[in-house]
Amino acid sequence: MRNAFKTVVASILLAGGLLAAGQALADEPYPSHVVQVIVPFPPGGVADLTGRPVTAGLSKILKQSFVLINRPGAGGSLGASMVVNAKPDGYTLLMALASVSTNPEADRVAGRPATFELNQLVPIALVSADPTILMVRAESPYKTLADLVADAKKRPGEINYSSSGNYGTYHVATEMFTHVAGIELKHIPYGGGGPALNAILAGQVDVGLLGPSVAIAQIKAGKMRALASWGGKRLASLPEVPTLKELGYNVEYYIWSGLFAPAGTPEPIVATLRNAMKGVVVDDDFKMVMDKLETPIVYMDAPEFKQFWDEDAKRLIEVVRKIGKIE
Amino acid sequence: MIAQSLSDLWYGFSVALMPQNLMWSFFGVLIGNLIGVLPGMGALTAISMLLPLTYSMHAVPAILMLAGIFYGSQYGGAIGAILLNLPSHPPHAVSCLDGYPMTQHGRGGAALGITMIASFFAASFGITVMVFASPLLVQIAFKLGPAEIFSVMLLGLLAGATMSRGSPLKGVAMTVFGLLIGVVGTDVNTGAQRFTFGFTELADRVELVALAMGIFGIGDFLRSVNRIHFAGHEAKVRFKDMRPTKAELKRSFMPMLRGTLIGTLFGAMPGTGPTITTFIAYAVERKVSRHPERFGHGAIEGVASPEAASHSKTQVDFIPTMSLGIPGDSVMALLLGALLIQGITPGPQLITEHADLFWGLIASFWVGNVLLIILNVPLIGLWVKMLQVPYRFLFPSALLFIAVGVYSTNNSLFEVTEVLFFGVVGAILMALEFPVAPILLGYVLGPLVEENFRRAVLLARGDLSVFVTRPISAAFIAAALALIVGQLVLGWRARRSLKRMQPA
Repeated sequence: MRNAFKTVVASILLAGGLLAAGQALADEPYPSHVVQVIVPFPPGGVADLTGRPVTAGLSKILKQSFVLINRPGAGGSLGASMVVNAKPDGYTLLMALASVSTNPEADRVAGRPATFELNQLVPIALVSADPTILMVRAESPYKTLADLVADAKKRPGEINYSSSGNYGTYHVATEMFTHVAGIELKHIPYGGGGPALNAILAGQVDVGLLGPSVAIAQIKAGKMRALASWGGKRLASLPEVPTLKELGYNVEYYIWSGLFAPAGTPEPIVATLRNAMKGVVVDDDFKMVMDKLETPIVYMDAPEFKQFWDEDAKRLIEVVRKIGKIE
Repeated sequence: MIAQSLSDLWYGFSVALMPQNLMWSFFGVLIGNLIGVLPGMGALTAISMLLPLTYSMHAVPAILMLAGIFYGSQYGGAIGAILLNLPSHPPHAVSCLDGYPMTQHGRGGAALGITMIASFFAASFGITVMVFASPLLVQIAFKLGPAEIFSVMLLGLLAGATMSRGSPLKGVAMTVFGLLIGVVGTDVNTGAQRFTFGFTELADRVELVALAMGIFGIGDFLRSVNRIHFAGHEAKVRFKDMRPTKAELKRSFMPMLRGTLIGTLFGAMPGTGPTITTFIAYAVERKVSRHPERFGHGAIEGVASPEAASHSKTQVDFIPTMSLGIPGDSVMALLLGALLIQGITPGPQLITEHADLFWGLIASFWVGNVLLIILNVPLIGLWVKMLQVPYRFLFPSALLFIAVGVYSTNNSLFEVTEVLFFGVVGAILMALEFPVAPILLGYVLGPLVEENFRRAVLLARGDLSVFVTRPISAAFIAAALALIVGQLVLGWRARRSLKRMQPA
């Protein structure tokens, strides 16, 4: 009986103690528990591959688990809308690609309500930005971009290009260029980047786009040739490939990846994350993984990233509107 | 050329058999097998789960382990399909058709045995093709454009639609139902969303795993609740029952061979997917069989051929993945991602730049398959014992795993709702004696047929003659026509002979 009484008292004290500890936990500085980083694409893709070293780096610096969760669907819209609808407490973040800028507009153009809006996301840091590259097969008659443009002017709409899908990276980038160049190329959408690459290699289409690391692999093997890149300056890894800008076409396009939080996330939490990201990008482990992925780190802190994103999104949205609804 | 390949392969074996590599390979096969057996968990789940582990590993053991997981889970999937009618790996849905009836007759162990033999044989053949004919297959693959793929798929659809037992009308109806389900989602050509009814989750089509598990597994469960006490044969399982008999082995040999060839053929067509391959293998088997009426009631040929096809297809699928850097499906994409993490860009230069990895991987395929056999000879008994767990325990636990597994495909509850929905649909259809397998066939083939048709016409600027002017495509179209005409003639003759018999 006595013992039972003791047990009860002890339990009450213990429960009280735990409660107090729990209270203290809630007041503890961010992050006090596991943080989810949503990647709106399947495992193995660009967002997933760059997202993993980012979460590893954040876990290391903030001494809290940052867990990457793949939530693919609807070209990245599903994961993004999940993040904007989450509680803006810094415990649900988004690792997005450039395509996040065009998701809402593509929905509207197709006559659907957008699943989220760009102002529902707050940029934290840009992690990488790779220009797309215009590629042809090694046997292609086009030796330079000028050859392609000249032929396209002669036969408007008869030269085919493959893309990963409608309003996707390659589609938007190509349309951006053809509008400025005043030419028309025929868009053949394939379901994904792999089939689009296969279509170029197999000669089903005449030209196509690739990211730098895949492009380098194909060039090295002598299977393909690069005509131009969408970058602001020439790539260090492909110094002989001119940019569209130097060839007189004022367009830029990057496959970028960056970290976002939902709008309304408290300023101190955003500041913590920004600081942590500053540390992540100079971390040796992080640099090593990015190096292996052959993805150059292009870091921008929130204010700079915001400016870049605003400009980029404006450019891209304009292109999506020009493409319009596809019949 | 051949001597070079052999010496490279020899080198590959020396890499794969290094104790450390062998250990990781075994670990992968074991984990894959165990995860694959759990209903709802396929290769994709298993590899995604263990992908982070490879960050701190060397490239060769990391890839060997992932390849092992891939194999193991594939074989594990066959176990669920045959013993419990649960195709967690959708290509195995076809193995449910005859594998599950075999289980109900107490021959589940034999079905697993033949699966093991067929998959080992087919994988070995696929590996040989990989070693000696990779460049040739790549050339063939390039010859197959959208027009050719359309024609092949059309033939597949026609062959598949007539394969179900029972009323042909019901079979065709279910194929069409599957085609309709396949239409749901974003149209690749225009980006328009069709029949999504405002669910953004449906933009990427109905989840294949949810559909397969729903109409087969859950549907069957719902029908069996309170009716049976044990999933398998209630009699005690004897060791003798676990081995295929001599007659069964003999009957399975030709189907196994045909299945392997079909799988290899489809392997040369990237993007066609293993599910179609197994359906076609089954359909062919039924067409050439002298006793087609036995199919669907536990014909061992109906297990051997699709299982062989699935394994040789998977094997040959590695060719575009490794030599071109083009993944055939989502699992291959994941493996490519794993290579990228290791700083290896898959592409034409992979074989020369990373010879140890490439040849080590090929050799490990074979080693992995041997390990799988060693592992499963004693395990088959254990799996079959699982059937003696009372149904009231087995059913809820399987349901739980299905829910977890389907959830993990996209980390979303929507897919769990989908699997339940299709479970109810499947149960109703089964009660009305509609065959459910053609639904899956229609679902997988429909979008491929449509996409490639439209892409071919787009490339030909609207000229429909492209399907008959390209020789390979024309051949398949002709075969499809022959199939229809043949079917009509057969039907007409049967009716005539019936008429002639009546007056007599």
